[in-house]
Amino acid sequence: MYGTPNTRYRILRFLVLGIGLVIVGRLFFMQIVASDYDQRATRNMLRTEVEYPMRGEVLDRNGEYLVKSRVCYDVLVVHRELPKEGFDTTRLITILDMPREKFEQRLKEAARHPRASTLVIGYLSQDSKLLLDEGGFSGFHTRFRTAREYPRKIGGNLLGYVSEISSDQLNRKGYEYYSVGDYIGTQGIESAYETLLRGEKGVNYRIYDSHNAVQGAYNDGADDILPVKGLQLTSTIDARLQEFAETLMEGKIGAVVAIEPATGEVLVMVSSPTYNPDLMVGRERRANYNKMLNDPQHPEFNRAVKSKYPPGSTFKLVQGLIGLQEGILRASDRHPCHNGFAYGSRVMGCHPHSSPLDLREAVAQSCNAYFCYVFKDMLTNSKYSSIKESFRVWNEYVYSFGFGRKLGTDLYGEGAGYVPTPEFYDRGYNGRWNWGTVMSCAIGQGEMGCTPLQMANLAAIVANRGYYYIPHLIKHIEGRDSIDARFYERHYTLVDSVNFVPIIEGMWRSVNVSGTSRKAYLEGYDVCGKTGTAENSGPDNSTFLSFAPKDNPKIAISVYVEHGGFGSAVAVPIASLIEELYLTDTIKRPQLVEEVLNTKINYAAYGEKKE
Amino acid sequence: MISDYNISRGRRSTSLFGSLDMVAVTIYVVIVLIGVLCITSASFDAESDSLFSLSHNYMKQLVWVGISWVTATVVLLLDRRLFHMFAYPTYILGIVALLAALFFGREVNGAKAWFELGGMRIQPVEFVKIATALMMARVMSDYAFNIKRLSDLVKVALVVLVPLGIIVLQNDTGSGLVLGAFLFVLYREGLSKYIYFPIIFTIFLFIAAMMFSPVVIFTTLLVLFTLYSALKTGAIAGHVRFLGMVFLAALLLAVVTPLSGYAALMIVCGVGAALLAVVAIKTRTMMLLWPILMFVYAMIFVPTTDVLFSHLEPHQKNRILTFVGLVDDPQGAGYNVNQSQIAIGSGGVWGKGFMDGTQIQYDFVPEKHTDFIFCIVGEEWGFVGALIVVSLYVALILRLMRMGERIKEPFGRVYCYSVAAILLLHVLVNIGMTIGIMPVMGIPLPLMSYGGSSLLAFTLLIMIAIRLDASTSDNDISV
Repeated sequence: MYGTPNTRYRILRFLVLGIGLVIVGRLFFMQIVASDYDQRATRNMLRTEVEYPMRGEVLDRNGEYLVKSRVCYDVLVVHRELPKEGFDTTRLITILDMPREKFEQRLKEAARHPRASTLVIGYLSQDSKLLLDEGGFSGFHTRFRTAREYPRKIGGNLLGYVSEISSDQLNRKGYEYYSVGDYIGTQGIESAYETLLRGEKGVNYRIYDSHNAVQGAYNDGADDILPVKGLQLTSTIDARLQEFAETLMEGKIGAVVAIEPATGEVLVMVSSPTYNPDLMVGRERRANYNKMLNDPQHPEFNRAVKSKYPPGSTFKLVQGLIGLQEGILRASDRHPCHNGFAYGSRVMGCHPHSSPLDLREAVAQSCNAYFCYVFKDMLTNSKYSSIKESFRVWNEYVYSFGFGRKLGTDLYGEGAGYVPTPEFYDRGYNGRWNWGTVMSCAIGQGEMGCTPLQMANLAAIVANRGYYYIPHLIKHIEGRDSIDARFYERHYTLVDSVNFVPIIEGMWRSVNVSGTSRKAYLEGYDVCGKTGTAENSGPDNSTFLSFAPKDNPKIAISVYVEHGGFGSAVAVPIASLIEELYLTDTIKRPQLVEEVLNTKINYAAYGEKKE
Repeated sequence: MISDYNISRGRRSTSLFGSLDMVAVTIYVVIVLIGVLCITSASFDAESDSLFSLSHNYMKQLVWVGISWVTATVVLLLDRRLFHMFAYPTYILGIVALLAALFFGREVNGAKAWFELGGMRIQPVEFVKIATALMMARVMSDYAFNIKRLSDLVKVALVVLVPLGIIVLQNDTGSGLVLGAFLFVLYREGLSKYIYFPIIFTIFLFIAAMMFSPVVIFTTLLVLFTLYSALKTGAIAGHVRFLGMVFLAALLLAVVTPLSGYAALMIVCGVGAALLAVVAIKTRTMMLLWPILMFVYAMIFVPTTDVLFSHLEPHQKNRILTFVGLVDDPQGAGYNVNQSQIAIGSGGVWGKGFMDGTQIQYDFVPEKHTDFIFCIVGEEWGFVGALIVVSLYVALILRLMRMGERIKEPFGRVYCYSVAAILLLHVLVNIGMTIGIMPVMGIPLPLMSYGGSSLLAFTLLIMIAIRLDASTSDNDISV
């Protein structure tokens, strides 16, 4: 029977039925058993379109825009939708304002994923977007974005910038909100207040056909989420003052920080050299950024909060206050100074002035020897069991002034500075050190390192006679009654307010009678100040710490200029001019402005700018 | 047993239309109408102002349905002997048309297999299928024909291979493959079953060669054949020893000589196969020869496949590689198949409803009204609809075979079987590709896919079979 036609008919019938069964079996599996096809079909037609919110804007303390958000667009291409017969590329690249080479390269990249939306170029202006729409370039579409804009082009480091999130960040914990292509605040206020500024992304579920044409809202838009605009922040910064301070600091490396003592609000925060924040926006961002990184003067480094500068003579205020509080020093105590303070084989030099001086005059004249006596008296005082203990007490005082630790501001990347401890000297000198070893601490030299913010905070503490509010940059958040509670809390130093009186007297005399700060004199404003000339590896750093008016102070300021020479040379006029503008609203000493602007400092030590 | 295929006709009418196989005709009509519905779903545009304008695909298809049905009536009215007489001229005409298309035709999707007449495209191969079926029937119904005779087999082979050759030259491999359907017919007509083993084996090897490295294939084959031989002879220990020796020798060779593992295994296997063959012939265990021969064949075939494969067109390579799963590129070559599977798979039991399939309506399935029309069935009518359509095709194919069986003379039988086989291959390949069990080949789903010349050709193909069957009762049968 096998092989006869009739058997073969049967076999062939089985073959046909078998093929039918295989097909039906596969259909059964696909349509009834497997469940993912459904989702894939939905995913196919549903496009979850992210709607980016307008990023929150930042105002200065007077309601002027520090940072604005402007509308811009990303241009995307779906390669498959490009017309086969070609299109007017010349016109398109003119509208997009991009080089042909780059455009063609982007198209080539897009061809690898012909159905996906691929970014061609970002930061298309609204006008160009209209031109693009008019041109009817099929295959190209736009996505709403916002870009930053800085009306005064100030506060680069202070404000920070917005950049595309890195793949590195995307993989990190705490960044779940973000996805590829999102922007994120980097540095400065943009980073510190990122969660408030960014708002919330919205989502649109739309039905798209395979030609990327919208076919309507999915589920009548019931599942859509509207984007939530970022919150508007009001900064404590005074834009006009900030711009003025940046101008004065041009060509100088250093920092200016000014604080309103009664609130801890930061009025000015300049890190110099600064950069134009507009350069960190748009298509040239990467190139500009790289250029900045290659700048030997490192404009991207926020000196105002990160640098560790020796405070120099401005620290004498603290030294004096500690002496008074510990009962080791009375304001009337006089110490001799003959061009310095000799100890062992060494001499702590001083500039010529009359001798002996009391505390007020020592502050006014910035006498090194005087404060060395104070420090020596403390370290060798029998009320302490050892030099280590007295140094530890000294440490506690210094910490209470906000030194050697982060102040807890709302600014990104705040540094802690450095205050040496007995343990530090134990390590460095193998446990064998004495008061002479640490003497330079008395006048803010040696191992001491402070941020300009900490120094301005010291000015505010003295202005307040013993307490401070944590300096902060944001005073109001849209829709909220208050900012973080920590900014409303008074932080007292370990020094009683009565002890500030002779110190402030000295600072007042330094400006108003005779002393190192005469250039800071402002008629009718009782300016108080303390200069500093900090030694370091290069030429001396020039620093000035000041507040005004003496009673009911409105502004406390610290100016620090690297290699600026004597404190009175550069730092004093800069601080004084800022105070003048803030207190009187005008500048009556244009010749002083000229003088500051014409002060050229040689920063050869930083190396040549690489272009 | 005999009652299974000893088909008798209950009703016998003297009028021609009364004697038509109404089951086949009904299935044909239902499939055609389902096709029109699907095309409507794919191309209906509610916003169009003139729903009955001839610019719509479904209206065009309806016109072609009309033309086809008129042609069908004419075919059914013709004297059956005419088809016998037509065989030679149609075949020659078909060959000429194929050649003409090859030289003067229009290229569509890389295949130079089309004529364009007044905005209408005709693919001669659609009609060549009919001509070849007729020619096969004519040659094989010759009273002197004996399928076991080599010269007659060569004759049959030529009838198929001549058009096949031209079609391959046209770069229309998919259509050429359809002519492979005649193997089905030859099997029914008594062709030795041993011819089918190498064909199946070759197909298997081809796919395996794409998927696995030669070492894996040969190792698997070696183990399989040894296992087969071990089970046949019962001498399991000896076979295990043989396997061990082969692998040890290969290993040794690879270690001692600078040869690669692959080359060493090939050499050992070659020598082993030769030795085994000598032993088999000497001991007259011919049963051993089959696996040895197949193995040697594999040793030659697999390396040459790489060479053959490198001669394929890039799009063909891509389709095969995608089908085998070596290339996973849902945006590129795999896109059609991926989308079509999503469409069918998302249909569920009852489907998404007429004109409500998102994959179809939002245009995710390419060629949805032509080659991928089965997606519309799968997505909009679900498993139930797909089951019905597949059942209709299977029923039609079985019906045609049954008609072939009940026609007493070979001409009708061979022809009916040819039609059944062509339909089977079309259905298997077309539906198979939409559900991902076949590579993508541009051949239409018979009677359903949009396209006038295809519908007309399949109508002719099937109607001739029905006409030949209807004449079984004619008194004037003579050949």
